[in-house]
Amino acid sequence: MPWYKQAYDWVERRVQLEGFVKESAEHPVPSKTASWWYVFGSASFVLLLLQIVTGILLALVYVPSAGSAWSSLQVLNHQLPLGWFLRGMHGWGSNFMVAVVLIHMCQVFLFGAYKFPRELTWILGVFLLLMTLGMAFTGQVLRFDQDAYWGLGIGASIMSRVPFIGRQLVEFMLGGPIIAGATLSRFFTLHVFVIPATMLAFASLHVWLVLKLGINEWPTPGRLVKRETYIQEYNELTHKDGVPFFSGAIWKDAMFSAGIVLAVAVCALLLGPIGPTGVPDPTIVQTVPKPDFFFLWIYSALAFLPPSIETPVMLIAPVIGIIVMLVLPFVAGLGEKSWYRRPVAVLLVVVLAAGFATLTHLGTYVPWSPQMDGWSADPVPVHFVDQTKPLERQGAIVFQQKQCRNCHQMGGLGGRRGPSLDDVATRLTEDQLVRQVTQGGGNMPAYGKTLSPAQVTALVAFLETLHPSNQPVAIDASRHVAETNNPAPKEPVEAIRP
Amino acid sequence: MRAGVFAFAVSCALLASGCNSLPGKPAPGPEVPRPESILSPQVLFAQNCSGCHGTEGQHGPATPLASPVYQALVDDATLRRVISRGLPGSMMPAFAQSAGGELTDAQVDSIVRGIRAKWNKGDALKVANLPPYADDGKGDAKAGEQVYANNCANCHGPAGGKIGEAGSVLNPDFMTLMAPQTFRTTVIVGRPDLGMPDWRDQMDSPMTAQQVSDVVAFLMAQKPNAPAGRTQAPQATQGAAHQRALQPRISGGAR
Repeated sequence: MPWYKQAYDWVERRVQLEGFVKESAEHPVPSKTASWWYVFGSASFVLLLLQIVTGILLALVYVPSAGSAWSSLQVLNHQLPLGWFLRGMHGWGSNFMVAVVLIHMCQVFLFGAYKFPRELTWILGVFLLLMTLGMAFTGQVLRFDQDAYWGLGIGASIMSRVPFIGRQLVEFMLGGPIIAGATLSRFFTLHVFVIPATMLAFASLHVWLVLKLGINEWPTPGRLVKRETYIQEYNELTHKDGVPFFSGAIWKDAMFSAGIVLAVAVCALLLGPIGPTGVPDPTIVQTVPKPDFFFLWIYSALAFLPPSIETPVMLIAPVIGIIVMLVLPFVAGLGEKSWYRRPVAVLLVVVLAAGFATLTHLGTYVPWSPQMDGWSADPVPVHFVDQTKPLERQGAIVFQQKQCRNCHQMGGLGGRRGPSLDDVATRLTEDQLVRQVTQGGGNMPAYGKTLSPAQVTALVAFLETLHPSNQPVAIDASRHVAETNNPAPKEPVEAIRP
Repeated sequence: MRAGVFAFAVSCALLASGCNSLPGKPAPGPEVPRPESILSPQVLFAQNCSGCHGTEGQHGPATPLASPVYQALVDDATLRRVISRGLPGSMMPAFAQSAGGELTDAQVDSIVRGIRAKWNKGDALKVANLPPYADDGKGDAKAGEQVYANNCANCHGPAGGKIGEAGSVLNPDFMTLMAPQTFRTTVIVGRPDLGMPDWRDQMDSPMTAQQVSDVVAFLMAQKPNAPAGRTQAPQATQGAAHQRALQPRISGGAR
């Protein structure tokens, strides 16, 4: 007997795992479940393992201190051979993991796999989803760049709105009243020890349940889940029409997981690591912080919420969402599994997916923050300057110097917080412009106290020139009547002091 | 088998050699540098100056920095002072950190060097009779009225008469926003990019330094006493000042 066989037997006599592994690998699964639709769960698990391996490698270099975290990522990006690739793998791995976990969840929901007797599997899955998102958020914080800093700030301000214990929650989250060294240590502990350990435990139990209860059979319309008969029916199905998991079904899982890991590597090679953006220094205001893609929908949703319902929606909606997911298998744990007979479920998935996708898409390009250097960087379009009179030119300077440009575009440049002003003169009359500038309104602050009367006059004179040449300026009809009744001097006259 | 080993070796070699040119590899330096570490004059000009002075130093609402006459008019020290401290009475803000701005002295120096290197033509345009940058305070408003009539009124309209095609420069609101130095610089340099001639290209003969001072004195004498050049009017006068500014509109009267 060769030496390795002897060594194997020596270990096996003591641990006695062979029987269990063999039984698990060869347990029969319904032949129809050897399908490409059943590969997302195993891919999620493979991605979790990939994240653990790349995470451990990153932790060899990463310094979890507020002063050095950012520079240790620079070392990874620029000094260590393929350090950037490792960061890319971990970053894109997390993006893929969130996506694959969500797809897995949709598939499980649409296939009715959460129904009896797999309720606990689903509940563990819900916690695994929340922990995946928790890993994504804490991972973004560990990058400790401007996005991380302001992301934390937003997280803390959401926490602070919890009634009565808001302050305590914020201090618990940040390790003090402000974002400081303790904050990073806290998130490092969460990201590296607490959440991954819990995730591994939950994921193992999740897989254990899949082994014990069997993979969900392909849903057939009309075959209802009944508490009394389901298990017997399932066993008959797997015996009559089953294939061994290994190697009847596993090769599709293996192929898909390999494909996903390859896709992560290709993204890392072509698109590179994610961030870090600028140093996390709150005195640097020239930044447009954005969360990573999996939280962009929250970013847009918060920007769209009317201020009056912000707090209730922020605090209550997530709780309701999680409760709904947790009680789902108890409320709808029996009956029809097939999506052909569950139109509400299908509709729900479509509406939610479309909603999240739309909000995420908006988050990628709509800059909700002002562009802080718009006033000094974005030139006034030449065609607007060339035709101006001296007062209007001073108005253009007021426009830039008072930083209107940070929120308003002209010629496609500038902030997009407010409307573009290329044709504002066709929309507002002179009087309306004066009123809008001085009193604000519609989300715009009032500038009456920060502009002198001459500046308002010059600014409005300039804004009045902003219209396409083929479109007339908006006029106030009542003024026309007033001027007819009380005619002005025919020619405007140069003022001169007596 | 041998072919497999060969293919593996080749792909390893390709990967190793290609690692430095892969699109995902981060470019040198941090993705977003600290603002004060930016020292490229082009980048600094684009971030801080082009908003008002134009991407190419012209066709912006503010003074055309690219004009060779302007470059001959100012020296490095003046340029540095104006960028650092701003131009009091005008809307040119102070950019130096020491004056409340965001740029370090090194960055201001870099902008000065950049502007000089790009647009200063050396002594070629240090033409004779170029009036000095700073006003000597000896301008005579009365004489300036005549200079205005001779040199400015043709385009901007005579004082007390019809407003000219180039628009009013005696409009009280306009005057309020103009610093004496801005008037002076504009009279000397003109707006070559917008069709306004410089101090040489006048109706009969180039303006003398004295004439430039005179016409600026005349223009400044027209300036209303109202809250001139203040960014924030005091509370007490705010209402009244606003009322006055808005009066003609509200009553539907003439401008």
